[in-house]
Amino acid sequence: MSDSVLSLQAVGLAFGGVRALADVTFEVERGSITGIIGPNGAGKTTLFDCISGIRKPDSGRIVLRPTGGAPVDLVVRRPWERSSLGVARTFQNARLFSSVPIGDILRTVQHESMTHSGFWRSVLGTRGARADEAIVAERAEEALDLVGLGAHADKPPSELSTGMLRLAELAAVAVVRPKVLLLDEPASGIAQAETEALGPLLQRIGAHLDATIVVIEHDMPLVMGISDIVVAMASGGVVTSGPPDEVRRHPEVLRSYLGAPA
Amino acid sequence: MQELLGTLPGGLVTGAVYALLAMGLVFTYKATRIPNFAYGAMATFVAFFHYDLIEGRTMGLHQSLLVVRLDLEAHVQLGFWAAVPVSLTAAALLGLVIERVVIRPFTRARAPMVVNIIVTLGLALLLSALTQQIFGADQLIVPNDQAIFPRTPAFAVGGVNVSWERFGVMGLLAVLAAVTWWFFRATRTGLAIRASATDPEVASLLGVSSRRLAVVSWVSGSIVAGVAGIALASLVVSSDPNLLLLLTIKGFAAAIVGGMVSFPIAVGAALGLGLGEEWVRHYLVSLDPRLWQGAPEVLTLGAVIGVLALRPKWIFTGIREDEDTGVIGRGGVADSAVARAIDPVEAFRLTQAAFPPGLWAWRGWRFVRRAAVVVIVAATVLFPVLPLVDDFYTLPANLAIADAMVLLSFVVLVGWLGQVSLAQGAFVAVGGAGAAIGANTLGLPFPLPILCGVALAVPVAALVSLPALRLRGLHLAVATLAFGLAAERAIVPRFDASDRVVPPGWMDTDRARYWVFLSLAAIAVLVCWRISTTRIGRSFAAIRDSEVVAAAYGIRPVRVKLIGFMVSGAIAALGGTMLTYQLGAVGTQKASVFSSIASLADAVVAGIGSLAGPAIGALLFGLYPELTKGQVHAATLSFWPQITGSALLILMLAVNPGGLASMARFVRSRASAYDEPTSNDDLGDLMARSTGGTDMVEAERVDTEVST
Repeated sequence: MSDSVLSLQAVGLAFGGVRALADVTFEVERGSITGIIGPNGAGKTTLFDCISGIRKPDSGRIVLRPTGGAPVDLVVRRPWERSSLGVARTFQNARLFSSVPIGDILRTVQHESMTHSGFWRSVLGTRGARADEAIVAERAEEALDLVGLGAHADKPPSELSTGMLRLAELAAVAVVRPKVLLLDEPASGIAQAETEALGPLLQRIGAHLDATIVVIEHDMPLVMGISDIVVAMASGGVVTSGPPDEVRRHPEVLRSYLGAPA
Repeated sequence: MQELLGTLPGGLVTGAVYALLAMGLVFTYKATRIPNFAYGAMATFVAFFHYDLIEGRTMGLHQSLLVVRLDLEAHVQLGFWAAVPVSLTAAALLGLVIERVVIRPFTRARAPMVVNIIVTLGLALLLSALTQQIFGADQLIVPNDQAIFPRTPAFAVGGVNVSWERFGVMGLLAVLAAVTWWFFRATRTGLAIRASATDPEVASLLGVSSRRLAVVSWVSGSIVAGVAGIALASLVVSSDPNLLLLLTIKGFAAAIVGGMVSFPIAVGAALGLGLGEEWVRHYLVSLDPRLWQGAPEVLTLGAVIGVLALRPKWIFTGIREDEDTGVIGRGGVADSAVARAIDPVEAFRLTQAAFPPGLWAWRGWRFVRRAAVVVIVAATVLFPVLPLVDDFYTLPANLAIADAMVLLSFVVLVGWLGQVSLAQGAFVAVGGAGAAIGANTLGLPFPLPILCGVALAVPVAALVSLPALRLRGLHLAVATLAFGLAAERAIVPRFDASDRVVPPGWMDTDRARYWVFLSLAAIAVLVCWRISTTRIGRSFAAIRDSEVVAAAYGIRPVRVKLIGFMVSGAIAALGGTMLTYQLGAVGTQKASVFSSIASLADAVVAGIGSLAGPAIGALLFGLYPELTKGQVHAATLSFWPQITGSALLILMLAVNPGGLASMARFVRSRASAYDEPTSNDDLGDLMARSTGGTDMVEAERVDTEVST
């Protein structure tokens, strides 16, 4: 735990009387892949919502330590500020902009990098704006090719299968070049045979971007196969964390998650 | 104190009127999740029917198609109370027909909030026009002997006499409130509605039939509307058909305060609003009617904005997140209303789901569609040519271009940004005022007053949108309706009608103006086209489809919406400046809320997502009605354009949400419409191939080893 990029310190959140998150504390090491496992309702997605700013925790701190920058407490930042801090996430049900062809989606998500394309510059089509558009289009194309969807750039999400949507979403987060990548169940909705191909793809994307990946996943072989550290959650709290093999054998994990008595 | 006491009866009765409306709105919303903007129009329809029945009037009947009623009318004359069961039966039938014909296709297709809002607004236009067509366009004047309760004084409060009629309406509210309370506490259906309002999916799993609930709630809602309409028509003595449409806005204000689900809070808010308005009228307006004109409407606006800004928790209990945002829930794909409205392929699927499959087997659809495309293309080509052929076309064409700008402003705001705002008429007025200031007060030469009008609209739009930026869906629609109403009543009448703009000599012919307007419109369209193809347009689409996802990628919803509101306001204002140069002044008609709603309807029919939409809309709803006007019998004021227009709106939303503009696209993309979505099968193949694809960064080749 020498070099932590993301540190969660006693994060808590309650919905009315339900404690969705209780005192969640763990560190995410820079450049690692951290898997989060846990039964439904364990608070995994809520935790992602807190990190990405969709929900505000009642207590605790979520500290991001960018390379060569001062630490930032994400709790006090607005949702859209994450992007420029290098944090990107995918959603459980592969949510993208539903009416836009995926090629355009991949250009849309690069919104922030287009520094020469303010309102008037875009409308007037200045040289800077045109250059921005060209770069963005090129990167979008590259990212689609990276996940193998290059031929489908003109199709809106409604014409893609769930699995292809997952890939498109991965391309969308990859194209913004984040330093911390939060993936919410990237394998859900894809067939078993294909999840086997997903692991290497995630590792490849992580290596490409030189990014840290935090991944929520129910598919045990996948998450155990790619993670350096696995965090097991249950009813809003952290049960245990450590290398996959250790977590796999942890009695409470076996009981509360895998369902088999130790 | 005596004086304050004297304002109570008036205020409470006004409040009771709003409360009657608010209760009906909450009732329907609770059971069906549909905000019924047509509620006031339904009430008016029943009221006109009722008093028509009593009097046996035949006014306007020769134009109507309701032959059955014509016969009934000729032979039967009923007293007030004898007519009540007949009228309420008619109300029940009206509710049934509306649910079956208009609402059900949208419920079945799980249409999103934005679509529901536009549908019921269209229904309001339709019913209002039908009322005027069937029962005559005149005001409904209820004579003393036909009043619901005697108009003689019952007792006095604070030196002000309270008539039996006013007292009776208060009593009626109390009775209805009690019945509603009993209904929701003690009846199976009431409990089912409450269960369904809490969680529709669990309720339907437990055997609550949502279809039955919808029928029950529309029928009973319509009866309550009828009672309210009959009582109100009597109370306000004369009511023109659009009055209750506007009162609906106040009912909505109260209902929104109650989170669209709470009867007590809604009724309380309505009574409070009524009292507040009475005090404003009594203590301010009566002192200086000119200075304080529109003050009650400003109060409504303040109340709506204030409550929504404070955001007490209960406000959001009734409106589920996904409805409020159009974002959360319902799975990732196609969760946006307008998203579907824009994509013809998606629209096609929606259509198939909404109607019996047999309907689509008819091969003739292809020819209908082709014919429609030919007509649209021909009309678009004809547009610039017509005024050259004959000066007869020039004036209508000029007005149509100004209309097209309002439609274009809706395309940007509703179609691209996904925000239903109904205050565009106010921006037309602002544009006109800006042009008048530029030309007359500042004495600027020609093109500059136009810029003045457009430039004035930008800060106004920013100011107006500030409270609106945090609102979405229904809240935004009601807030902007309240703003539109306040602007219509409080701001627009203040513009000096004599402050007319005189165009420079060379521009003082319709033909010269035609070219000027056409060029200005071309610039506006060009700017919009640039917006739609660049970063700005993409950020609009992102916000429209999902604010949460957009924010996750660093797009700031508030900033993007602010830009959209300003662009849209500026375009509507451009239309206003055109009207000013054509007519001398904008006039109150074009600046009204009613006109804004009608324009939105036109924009949707023509194509809310497309730049071609405004042109088509201007032709269909601006130019052609003007041209045919002369041929229709001059003496009969016809509401058929509004009737067909609003019926077309509802039909279009159900069948082809992309509007006429998308039909042309549809023909082109027909092949892909029949393609099944790509299956999962080739996914593993895709992933395998993905290593072979061009790498993002050519230099980093490390990954190929990892993958195998």
